[in-house]
Amino acid sequence: MTTDALHENAIAPIEAKGWFAQNRSSIVRHAVINFFNVVILLPLTWVLLMSVKTLPDAMRGDFWPRSFDFTHYAYVFERIHTLPVNLFNSIYVTAATVLITTVCAVLAGYALVHIRPGGAGVVVTALLVSLYFPVRVVSIISIYETQYRLGLINNTSGLILPYVTLQLAISILIMRSMFQLVPHEIIESARIDGAGHWRTLLEVGLPMVRNGLVVIFIVNFVAAWGEYLLCVTLVDDEAKRTMPVVLAAAQGGQGQWSWPNLAAVYVIVVTPGIIAFTFAQKLFFKGLMEGALKG
Amino acid sequence: MGIPQYFSWNELRMTQTIASREANLDAKVEGGQFAQWRQGVGGWLFLLPALAFFIGYQVWPIFRVLWVSFTDFQFLSDKPAQWIWFNNYAQALSDPLLWTSLGRAALFTIMFLPGTIILPLLLAILVDKVSNQRLATLYRVILLIPAVIPSTLIFVLWKWMYNYQSGPINHLLVDVLGIFTLQNAPQWLGGTPLTLPSIAVMEVWWGLGYHTIFFIAGLAAISKDLPDAARIDGASEWQVFWHITRPQLAPIMMILVVLRFGTAMAVIDEYLIFGGFNRASPTYTWTVMMYDQAFKLGLWRQGYAASIGMIGAVAMMCVMVVLLRIFRPKG
Repeated sequence: MTTDALHENAIAPIEAKGWFAQNRSSIVRHAVINFFNVVILLPLTWVLLMSVKTLPDAMRGDFWPRSFDFTHYAYVFERIHTLPVNLFNSIYVTAATVLITTVCAVLAGYALVHIRPGGAGVVVTALLVSLYFPVRVVSIISIYETQYRLGLINNTSGLILPYVTLQLAISILIMRSMFQLVPHEIIESARIDGAGHWRTLLEVGLPMVRNGLVVIFIVNFVAAWGEYLLCVTLVDDEAKRTMPVVLAAAQGGQGQWSWPNLAAVYVIVVTPGIIAFTFAQKLFFKGLMEGALKG
Repeated sequence: MGIPQYFSWNELRMTQTIASREANLDAKVEGGQFAQWRQGVGGWLFLLPALAFFIGYQVWPIFRVLWVSFTDFQFLSDKPAQWIWFNNYAQALSDPLLWTSLGRAALFTIMFLPGTIILPLLLAILVDKVSNQRLATLYRVILLIPAVIPSTLIFVLWKWMYNYQSGPINHLLVDVLGIFTLQNAPQWLGGTPLTLPSIAVMEVWWGLGYHTIFFIAGLAAISKDLPDAARIDGASEWQVFWHITRPQLAPIMMILVVLRFGTAMAVIDEYLIFGGFNRASPTYTWTVMMYDQAFKLGLWRQGYAASIGMIGAVAMMCVMVVLLRIFRPKG
């Protein structure tokens, strides 16, 4: 409500509906947006509340708990012995994947834009085609065979290799469009001053593409942290699996996997990503937009 | 869709102009022969780590699967694989289950595509008009939250939402609204006819924010002068949208349609989690059929499974190429 509108209402009460009529489109707009916001937040709030409900409340199904019970978080860590193991697997595999993919994507993106070796166009075309082909689904047959030959079946570390390629193509393409924003002259002048490609990339290039780095960090974190198909296919042993696969198999019921316990595990697994994103959102949006508005 | 597919506009546009642009870039290398050679080697050194992974775990597996699809390779069998030409393909194509499974994938795609394009477009236009910067940021952050929740965790969440007995959706329908009783409450998942629409709703929910942000980026690139001038001339909001905004967003929208068509046709994780390997379930699509043959049934007939995968992939690629041709910008 603007001060002008308030002022008008004050001196002309007869036109009381004037403010609403004037701002109708704005009110409708915010109402619609907030409707979708609620639709998005409701399921997540439900899980969050479930994780602090007492068992009887959980069975009753009310949205708001009648009494709060915060013991589930401690319980799941103390009583579900595989939980810390699975959680550690997830953290380890995801961290390695994000790190390796980021390094690969930065090096490749820089090379494709500022070194441009002969045949770079073929690489870019191949990366693009791979985005359209259902590679992930079809290749699973041969990836199993490869991992079997390498002795990496049922091996948590072995997951890192295929995980790196989950979002590799798009990460390279994002870094490529980021490096296209860095003027050639800047790279050239660093090179003329005697810096090698390594130093140019580290000292001149990287600081200029940090928004893109945030984007591929988040993209690869999301991909690796939640991967299902490869993990469920390549790893049989529950203790060697990652957290999402274990969660997907758990049926809500009694005992250690009761609903509030499941919900508590869920909150533990989901929250780090959301918090990290909320803090990085400014850079993330900038990165997305820079990639988007160019060209 | 398995994994939220991220991409920037730049990539989408590039797909159409890629060939000509790259050719120009390649020609620009300067200096003498030695300098050129050094530049080439240096460049490929930088590309090496990425290419090692890309070739090892994406390019090679695809060609290996193609090769295997012409053999009677069974993973758990000791017999060496025989080259059998198109026998796998002939057998797969004469199996009515393959056609049913392809049809199911197409059905899901039809349920999913309109919602995932139109809703975000509408939301983007609304959010784009929010002038309060803080509110605009808040809206974007909330909208993007599902996009930073990893795929499997989205499925786990919605498995609970749709749970027959204790899910909040049925709780609302049975206990709060009283529309259904515990006996006839809808069975959302688990191979019922409702399964595919339920998954489609989940997918739209998941992609809503990300696609909205995408369209917002597109709207930001459109000059505000033209719509403003039209409004002064008395055009309604709908006319502004239809005659000015829509045509400018059209190329991007169409490529989004093509990409999303691709992900929707190749869904597998959701079907495995929600439907399992029941052949009668609407979730038993060509992807699940391929997986079933490759890792579950008998001696793992991966030759046959590979042919199913290839048929499915080629079929959807053909449709995508046709779509790309239809929507190609004129001129």
